Formats: sequence, C-alpha cells, structure tokens
Amino acid sequence: MTSKGKLNIDEHGRSDSYRVATIPSNYDDNKTADGRPKSRRKVKKIRKADDLDDLKQELDIDYHKISPEELYQRFQTHPENGLSHAKAKENLDRDGPNALTPPKTTPEWVKFCKNLFGGFALLLWIGAILCFIAYSIQASTVEEPADDNLYLGVVLAAVVIVTGIFSYYQESKSSKIMESFKNMVPQFATVLREGEKLTLRAEDLVLGDVVEVKFGDRIPADIRIIETRGFKVDNSSLTGESEPQSRSPDFTHENPLETKNLAFFSTNAVEGTAKGVVISCGDNTVMGRIAGLASGLDTGETPIAKEIHHFIQLITGVAVFLGVTFFVIAFILGYHWLDAVIFLIGIIVANVPEGLLATVTVCLTLTAKRMASKNCLVKNLEAVETLGSTSTICSDKTGTLTQNRMTVAHMWFDNQIIEADTTEDQSGVQYDRTSPGFKALSRIATLCNRAEFKPGQDGVAILKREVNGDASEAALLKCMELALGDIMSIRRKNKKVCEIPFNSTNKYQVSVHENEDPNDPRHILVMKGAPERILERCNTIFICGKEKVLDEEMKEAFNNAYLELGGLGERVLGFCDFMMPSDKYPIGFKFNSDDANFPLDGLRFVGLMSMIDPPRAAVPDAVAKCRSAGIKVIMVTGDHPITAKAIAKSVGIISEGNETVEDIAQRLNIPVSEVNPREAKAAVVHGSDLRDLSSDQLDEILRYHTEIVFARTSPQQKLIIVEGCQRMGAIVAVTGDGVNDSPALKKADIGVAMGIAGSDVSKQAADMILLDDNFASIVTGVEEGRLIFDNLKKSIAYTLTSNIPEISPFLAFILCDIPLPLGTVTILCIDLGTDMVPAISLAYEEAESDIMKRPPRDPQNDKLVNDRLISMAYGQIGMIQAAAGFFVYFVIMAENGFLPMKLFGIRKQWDSKAVNDLTDSYGQEWTYRDRKTLEYTCHTAFFVSIVVVQWADLIICKTRRNSIVHQGMRNWALNFGLIFETALAAFLSYTPGMDKGLRMFPLKFVWWLPAIPFMLSIFIYDEVRRFYLRRCPGGWLEQETYY
Amino acid sequence: MPISKKKMSQASQISRSLSKQDELLNVQTQYFLKLNEIKLTRKERIKKVIYDPETKQFFGRTGTSWAKIGLFYFIFYGMLAALVAVCMWVFFQTLDPRIPKWQLDRSLIGTNPGLGFRPMPENNEESTLIWFQGSNKTSYTYWVDNILSFLDKYYVPSKIAKGNGQIKTCSHHDYPNIGEVCEVEVRHWEDCNRDQFFNYHKNSPCIFLKLNKIYGWTPEYYDDPFDLPQEMPESLKERIRKINNTRERQNVWLSCEGENPADVEYLGPVTYYPKDVQGFPGYYFPYLNSEGYLSPLMAVKFERPVSGIVINVECRAWARNIIYNRVERMGSVHFELLID
Repeated sequence: MTSKGKLNIDEHGRSDSYRVATIPSNYDDNKTADGRPKSRRKVKKIRKADDLDDLKQELDIDYHKISPEELYQRFQTHPENGLSHAKAKENLDRDGPNALTPPKTTPEWVKFCKNLFGGFALLLWIGAILCFIAYSIQASTVEEPADDNLYLGVVLAAVVIVTGIFSYYQESKSSKIMESFKNMVPQFATVLREGEKLTLRAEDLVLGDVVEVKFGDRIPADIRIIETRGFKVDNSSLTGESEPQSRSPDFTHENPLETKNLAFFSTNAVEGTAKGVVISCGDNTVMGRIAGLASGLDTGETPIAKEIHHFIQLITGVAVFLGVTFFVIAFILGYHWLDAVIFLIGIIVANVPEGLLATVTVCLTLTAKRMASKNCLVKNLEAVETLGSTSTICSDKTGTLTQNRMTVAHMWFDNQIIEADTTEDQSGVQYDRTSPGFKALSRIATLCNRAEFKPGQDGVAILKREVNGDASEAALLKCMELALGDIMSIRRKNKKVCEIPFNSTNKYQVSVHENEDPNDPRHILVMKGAPERILERCNTIFICGKEKVLDEEMKEAFNNAYLELGGLGERVLGFCDFMMPSDKYPIGFKFNSDDANFPLDGLRFVGLMSMIDPPRAAVPDAVAKCRSAGIKVIMVTGDHPITAKAIAKSVGIISEGNETVEDIAQRLNIPVSEVNPREAKAAVVHGSDLRDLSSDQLDEILRYHTEIVFARTSPQQKLIIVEGCQRMGAIVAVTGDGVNDSPALKKADIGVAMGIAGSDVSKQAADMILLDDNFASIVTGVEEGRLIFDNLKKSIAYTLTSNIPEISPFLAFILCDIPLPLGTVTILCIDLGTDMVPAISLAYEEAESDIMKRPPRDPQNDKLVNDRLISMAYGQIGMIQAAAGFFVYFVIMAENGFLPMKLFGIRKQWDSKAVNDLTDSYGQEWTYRDRKTLEYTCHTAFFVSIVVVQWADLIICKTRRNSIVHQGMRNWALNFGLIFETALAAFLSYTPGMDKGLRMFPLKFVWWLPAIPFMLSIFIYDEVRRFYLRRCPGGWLEQETYY
Repeated sequence: MPISKKKMSQASQISRSLSKQDELLNVQTQYFLKLNEIKLTRKERIKKVIYDPETKQFFGRTGTSWAKIGLFYFIFYGMLAALVAVCMWVFFQTLDPRIPKWQLDRSLIGTNPGLGFRPMPENNEESTLIWFQGSNKTSYTYWVDNILSFLDKYYVPSKIAKGNGQIKTCSHHDYPNIGEVCEVEVRHWEDCNRDQFFNYHKNSPCIFLKLNKIYGWTPEYYDDPFDLPQEMPESLKERIRKINNTRERQNVWLSCEGENPADVEYLGPVTYYPKDVQGFPGYYFPYLNSEGYLSPLMAVKFERPVSGIVINVECRAWARNIIYNRVERMGSVHFELLID
C-alpha cells in the first residue's frame, strides 16, 4: 500500500528509475582525477583491474525484456514442469553451486606471518639478526666470545615471536566471533522439476529453475517473476530503499534494478507469493557482483600503522645516526675495525626499544577489549585507533541512522498535526488519545488494516514485534496497538464483512465492518489510501467531534498539512469512514467486493497519518557529539533526497538554520543557479548529479559544504565519495549495513558494520562491528581511539626515555674506556621487565581534557611520535636519567676504592682475565673475579637507579599538559606499576642465585638513594615545563617540547 | 537536488559569526587545503629538508630557531652538569682520601686476596703466557724490562716514600708501629736480580709473586705444624715443620706447582727466594695504605723447565682465611711458561 503522486516533486522521483544510481558515471580507467594510476598494484595486475572494472560496469542483461516464452526457450525450462533433472544436473555441473564465492580468506599462516613480521616486528628482527652477525664476528675472532650478543639476539627473536603469537591469538579470537555471524542455517527453496515440487537447498539451484517464493523467504537467486500474488520485496540491503517494492510479471523498466519483474538474490520477500525463473546464480547475481567489487578493493594502511611506520623511521634514523657517529669515533680512537663494527651493531641494537612492540600490542588489545565490552567488535587490532583519527564519517541512512522500521510519526486530525512517539523505547511525547477525532482515526487505522503480529511474540516490545504484512500497515498496527491495546480483539468485535484490497489503479483500500456497539445496527465503511484520492471521495470532514462540510478552507488546511508532512519526508496516508445507513444496508447484507454494491463516494474525511523510518534514539546525540569533536558527518544513502534530507535534519546532520542552495533559492525566490553555492553550508546531492560531477567539483562540494547528504547513490558512487574524502586528506569512517555499502566499507579507513541488521557481506568488508547496532557506539569508538592515541604517545615517551640511560653507558665504555656501567642483561631487565607494566598501565590513563571537544588530529602533522617527543625523551628526561645512573656508578666505584679519575682508561686491564691484581685508588689490588663482582654490582645499581628515575618519568608521562595535581593518581593500574617495578627490581637484586643467573648482585640500601635527587629534578623540571605550557599556550616551549 | 553545475563562482565572504562548531569544521577544511602542495620528487624533498630557500631553513629550522634551541639545551645541560657536580661534591665529602669507605667484607673486594705475578705479557690482555728464548736476547729483554719496571720502586724505595713514611727492617719479633712500613729487601732474592737478568738468559726464569693488597686484611696463619691442610704440598709442610719458633711460622705460605701431574714433571725443581721463608711474613700485614708500603715479594725460580712445551703453573697462597678455588682462581694465580 504505497502513496505516491504529489510527493514526486523531485525530478528523479520515487517511481523513477534507479538507473541513475547504477550506471557508472564514467568508465573507470583506473586513473585518479589528476591522471595518476589509482594504485600501483592495479597497474601491475591488469587482469585484476579489468575484473574490477567489469564489476563496476552496469548490469547488462535482457532477461527482463524478453517474453516469458523466449525465456523458457532460452533456459529450456517450462513454467509448470520446470527443468528436467538431467538438465538441472548438467547446469549445476557447468555453473557450480548457487552460492557466493567466499572472499579470498588469507590463509592462517599468512596472517600469522603478518603478525610476526609486520611493522614494528621487522625492526626487532633486524636487531636480532644484527646481534647474531655481531656474535658470529666475535665468535670467529675471539676464543671465548662474550655471549651478550647471542643472548640479546635470542631474546629479541623471542620477544617478536611471543608478541606475534599473542596478537595473532587476539585477532583469531575476534575472527571467531565473526564466524559466528555467518548464517549457518541453510537456505531452502521450493523448486519445480519435472512437474514435481521439491524443496532443495538454495545452493543446488541452477539457471532455468522455476522457483516459488512466499513472504518471509529470502530470494534464493536472481529470478524473473512469472506469476505473483501481492508480492513485495525488501530491497533495502541492495539499494538502500527503505520501502518494500512491489513485484509483478510486467516488464516496466529498462533498468534491471528498477523493473518490476526481477527479484534479486538475498533480498527478502515481505508479502505475497511469486513464481519465477532463475536467471543468474551465485557470483553472477547483482548481490554477487557488489560483493565481488568489495572484495576486489585493496585497503590502505591503517593510520596507526602509518604512525608506527613513521616511528620506526625516526627510531632507525636516530639509531643509525648514533651508530655511525660512534663507529667513526671508535675508528678515530684506534679501535680495530672489527671492534668498531661490533660497537656499531651494539649501538644500533641498543636503540631498539625491545619492550615497545609488546607494550603497543597490549595497549591496543586492552582498548579492543574495552570497546568489545561496549559492543564495538574490532576485527583488526590496528583499527582500534582509526576511529580516533577519523575526520569524516560517511554514514548510510537506512538501518544505521534509522531503525529500518516504518513508524507512524505524525497524525493530522481536528485540523492539527499531532506528533507520535517514534522512539524505540516510547520515551517520547505523548498525545491526547481521548479526542473524538483520534478515536475515529484510530478505528479506521485499526480496521482497514490487514497486518497482523506474527504469533508467539508476547514478551517482545510492541515496536520490535515482527509483523506479517506491508510495512506501512505494520506501522499503523503497532501505533494502534500502543494507543488502544489489544487490536485483535477490537477487530473481532468489528467483524469484517467485506474488503477491497489496495491496487495501484484505485490507490485505496476499503473494508466494511459490523459495528461493535450492539445498539447501533449500522455497518462502518473504512477507507485509507493516497490522501488526495481519499479526499476526492469525501464530502464532509470530521473536526472536533462534528461533521463539517468539506469547503475550500478545509481543503486548504488539508493541503497545508499534507505538504508539511510530505516535506518531512514522510509517507502520508489519508483516512475516511462512513456510517452506512442501516435501512439500506441491514445486518446480513451481502456486500460484493468485486462489484462494489456500496457507496465509495461522499464519505467523511477523518485525518492523515504519516509514517517514516525514524532515526534511532541515540543517533542525534551521537551525531552532535561527533560534530563537536570536529568530525564531519556525511549521509550517503540510496534512498530518496526528501526522506534523506528529513532524516538528516532530524538527526542533526543538517543542523537547524542551515540551508541548502535550494532552500536559499526558495527563500529568496530566485532560481537555483543564481545562488552562490558557497553561501549554503548544507548540500543535498542527488546520485544523478553526482554522476555528472568531475572529481574537482566533488572535491569542492566536500570542501565548501559542511553538511552534506548524498541521496540515491549506487554502491559505486558510495565508493567514489569515500575516495573523494580520502583524496582531501580526511580519514574516513563508513558506517553501513547493506550490501550496497560494502564496497565503501572496504575502501574506508575504517568500515563499521551493524552486527544485528547488517548483511554478511557488509560485515565481511568492515573493520569494526557494532554488536548492538547502536550508532552511538561510534562515539565510544572515537573516544577510545583518541584516548589510546594519546596514551600510546605517553607510553612511548615513557619507554623511549630509558633508552638514553641504556645506551650512554655503552658509549662511555667506548669513549672513556671505563668499565661497562650497564650490561645487556640489565638492559633487557629494564625493557622487558620493570618498564613493561608501567608502560602498559599508561593505557588506563584518563583523558586530560575533554577529548571529544577538540578537532580530530591532523594526520599530516600530528604524529604519534614526533621530533618533540624524541627531543623530550632522549634530549631532556633521558639525559637526567643517564646522569643519575652514572652518578650511582661512580658512587659505588668510589666507595669500593676506584675513584672516578682512576676509572678512565682502565677498561683494558679491567676486562683482562690475565690481570689478577688491578690496583685501585687506595692501593688495594683486585682480582678479576672481585672486579667483575664490583662491575656487576654497578650494573645492578645502575639498573635500580633507572627504576628510581622511571618512577618520576612515569608520573610526568601521565600528563602532557596538566599538572599531576589536576590529574591525580587515580590510575590504579599505574600505581600498581610503580610498586611492581620497584618490587621486581628488589627481587632481581636480592634474590639468592641471581648473581649466577642474571649477574645481579644485592645492593646496600644506600645505593638506592643517589638517584633520588635526579628523580626529584625530573619531576620538578617537568612540572615547571608544563606550568609554562599552560601559562603560555602556543609559546616557544610548547612548540619545542609539547609532544 | 541539483547542485549548480556551473563553475562555482568565487565566494563572497559571509559575514556570519562563527560558532564553535564552525570553527572546528573550518579547522578541518584547513587540513584539506594542505594537500594542494605539489608533490616533490625524492631528491627535491631531500634538498628541501637540508636547505629550504623559501623559509631559509636548515634541516627544518631557521638560524634563529637553531640558536634558540641550542641555547635551551646549553642551559639545560649546564644545569644538569651543575646538578651532577653538586651531587659529586657532596658525595666526596663522605670519602677519606686514604681510607676506603667500605673495607673487607663490607667492600666488594672481600677478604680473600688473590695473587699477582710478574712479568706480565703485554699487548694481549687475555694472555698469561711467558714465552721466551734464553739464547735470544731480544726475546727475553722484554720480560726482564717488564720485571724491572715493576721492581723499580723496590730497588729505589725512596721514590714513593716521600719523607713521612718510616721504612723499617722488620722481623717476626719486631712488627712495625703505626706509620711505619716494613722494608722489602731486594738482596734476599739472590739469584733473581737484575744484574743476572733474573736468570732468563739461563732458561731458568724467576717469576715474582705477590699477595694482593686488601686494606685492613690480616691473615690467619697456618702456624701449627700438626694442623696443616691435607692438600698442602709435602715440601712446604716440611719447611713449616722445620721452623721451631711459632712466631716465625706466622707467614702466608706460598707454593708453586705444575697444574697437572705432567706439568709437575716438566716444571722440574723450584727454588723460592727469600730462602728463609717460603711465603709472605706476617709483619707486612695488615695493609693500611701507609706511605711507602711495598708488598712483600717472592721470587720463584724454575730451575730446569722442559723447553719447547707449554707448562701450566699454579701458585697458591696458604692461610686459614684464604679460600682456594681453582676454577674461580681464588687464592691462587695461574700462568704458563714456554721456553723455546
């Protein structure tokens, strides 16, 4: 039951073709606007590109045009008997099963290898290999080589492998959840073969099969309809149209997607029954082609992967710079070149933050877990952060922003528009249900309605119950059930005696009922339909309990109401009734529906009801939050512009007071072409216009309009819009649920699919899934993503800082010839031991300020790790830490007899096993063994002092701008981290046997203390620095030290 | 509805107060605009990084910017150096220039002195091989010179005793007083003297051995001839038993032997100088970092070592509080002898 007509203001109105949306605007020559190839990969793999272009092509079939006879001829089938078994088997052997080829799944070992060798892991592998090279050089030149490099290599390799396994495990866990989405229930289809009705699995269907479909079924393949009875399909997942489309055997349109005699694979039959011939199967179906387009797209690196890439470059740069510098210095100092090479490798490897890979992985995993608990399932760990960097969200309308459920939104009776409650939980406005106008209107809506609730849904909320019947009738049913209660009993009391169902020529539906009032023998005639058609049949109008003559004034009021509701993008129905005089139509009168023997004119007009697929309750709030977070929200829908614009306005995508070019033109009463497009902040772009736009013009639209709605877009166009946004440098999130969204989902930096309503194909293409279909979860995603980005910065700043006190001892060892102040084992104890838990605990840090009130980060300039972070970590805090370590080293050496001056140049004798009597500053002579005990004690003390200064580092890394006084110490994970690292350090130092195992020696308590002044100075220095950051925002200090 | 397909005309600035929202969105528009920069080739990019003539930036900074950051780091490191200096100064106030802060067990040097030997091979720190040819002067001169430079202060003790130190000829009955140090008599080494090239030219080299100095360490002597450790060489036991006076038995004994039975055979007879005590007399202990203190030395002469073969020699110091461990080289010293 659809009401069309007046609302077709739009030149590409509802009844018009979907063609505009499906014909590609221009042949995709795989070039971007400036003539560069879209991607190198495509150029190399021309065949693949061809395939993809083929998929982007218009659907070119003629099965809907030819006559049924020719169709049967072509498939050697028969409408009554179907295919022969032999022919069916032959076809099946030729074409394969009727199923979508599952997207090429990456083999498990490839996924594993990606985790093992991707990004950061590669850096560690190179480090490990360098270590092995260094060890083999040593092994071939020295009799008893130091094992340090071997250990280090092994540990590095172990770290990468363990982390790789961990993240692989995490990813496979979420892909398992993905698996569970797949619809495991096999689809069945009723097929005619050799005159017999068979129930086959949908996969076994072949071309030419004659299938029967009834409401509730999924269409098993693309079929040409040959017989129907009130058949309607829901194409929303394919085209984004929220209204069910009627289907009949008639060829109505050139475009296969628009013609009424085709029904498509995986769409749902919502009403009636039909019989059809299978014309394409599996991957050749329309659905299959879109799915193929989606899986053929290659997606770029995630933003966080780019950031990590940049970070690796930076770290490698620093490492190589330091390495080469000291290689040259070592050469000048007269070291043997092989020693110099060992030093070079040693310095490069020392720069590798061993623990960081694990830290980053764990931080991302923690956030992924947190998001999963908020119903955001992340398929790929790296996608956790992507929403945080997102600057543009392209959202589908149907099912994402809206409930994908027609609901009564407004009523017009007693000459006023009443707003109905459209929220999912009935928390909206209530209206007066006692006025006579409403009573009359509700009686018509209740009785002139064939929709019924499916049985067995007693516990389900009314709005969520499933209904047999047309979407708008279902909407009326639910509305009435909410307003009046038990509809079925009302219908029973008013027994239906006659009915004329809706057809497209009448554009109305009428039924006659007995009166529930036993004292009133009159029959009631109720009618609903297209408002203008209904009005034509009325002479009077029911206003405030009185029947009035329908004069021009009332018609004017009607028209205004109709236009207003239509302008809201709502589908409007008119309602009228008539109390049949009992003398003419007594009880028991035989009504004839075929040849109407009762009046259909001169009725009493009661009111209008309008329906819309209402926005989800949480959406307007979520859109507002996104926008205040500086994220542009663009609506991209396959639905009609008016509906799209209405929804956009109601959810705030087009904010109040912002006008489109057309609105301005209307207000000023000038032609659209005279309006300066830049004056309009909002824009509604039709798919057919989009087709004619060059990519420059698209860029201009995207740039100069802040509020954009794209309507009537095809899957390919959605893709083009996403590509356009990306071309502008935006990081794009796409939300969608339908098959038509899947190419865009795949192309987006992050695709977000709906977990409940979403189609399998869209879920396959997405990176993130909202398990509760709640758009508001995206806000959570943005928030978590931004938070983890900030916290990763802090975590990395914390971890990198200790790199300086780790490298500098080795440099001093080379340059000053002092005994080594810090050994490899102790470095590993810091990186993989004491630093780990605190670094991870920073992931739990609360946001410093409202992260949803600031614009998204600039992917070009706002890097995860920038030179300011390196300058802070390495140049400032790291240096203080190194000073602390060296101070402790000199203190222990001096207290045991080696004053600092004595140490310089002593290295060769110190490390010589042959020297058993090395003299110290007090004339004492040290055996090799005692010296080494002293050295390892120094390593331990240096290690402990790093732990001590890392306390302060951890506390200053909690905040980047605020004082710790503001931030507080409420992060209990972090507080635990402080205690943990201290306890671990004490454990490593004091546990008996550590001297043998890790060469860690117990320290005197006083040796913990020399680092404390340095710890305090780190804390004070950074508090002062941040005080100036806050006091002089944008000042020099901020430009140089705010990371 | 259709967007004007006409080329969009230049916008007249809309005088409209920007809300917070618009500001945010304008920020975003700015990101977009940056992408209009022309893409440079790799070479041009590198050139631009090194020197950008437009902004006059070297490596991303202008001269002033470099100066500012340089000054910042200069001050920063200046302050850091000052902090270290203050800490060091305070720390040095707790140290005594002559007495180690931690001693014996409280220090990491412990209470188990090792032994040192001279001459020591040079240029290769890992080696303990004494390798020479008695008939070849250039071959043994190095070793002789090495010993000489070590013995320099023994031959001319006044070089280190700068006035204050009282050098005293001590005996078991005449221990030094505070401020006095015991003399080490060079003549007692007899054959092992510089004039005879320490016998290297005769292929029966002298090796000098000394006990490591540990501040404040006093030995506990094996001074009871009936309570000597089992593993002590018989020859040493006999020598100890021959001494009648208990006080004169208060020495840290020393013995040198081939490490393995074969080495013992190759090594041949060993003579210890000074001849009267095979060890370090007790009056040299404890070492208190007094001016002019010289470690007592033993010269060990290997009379007829087999030539052409590497002989592993281990010398061991004997006292109750010297723990011996061959693997860890505790209480002992190891070297190899190779005479061509």
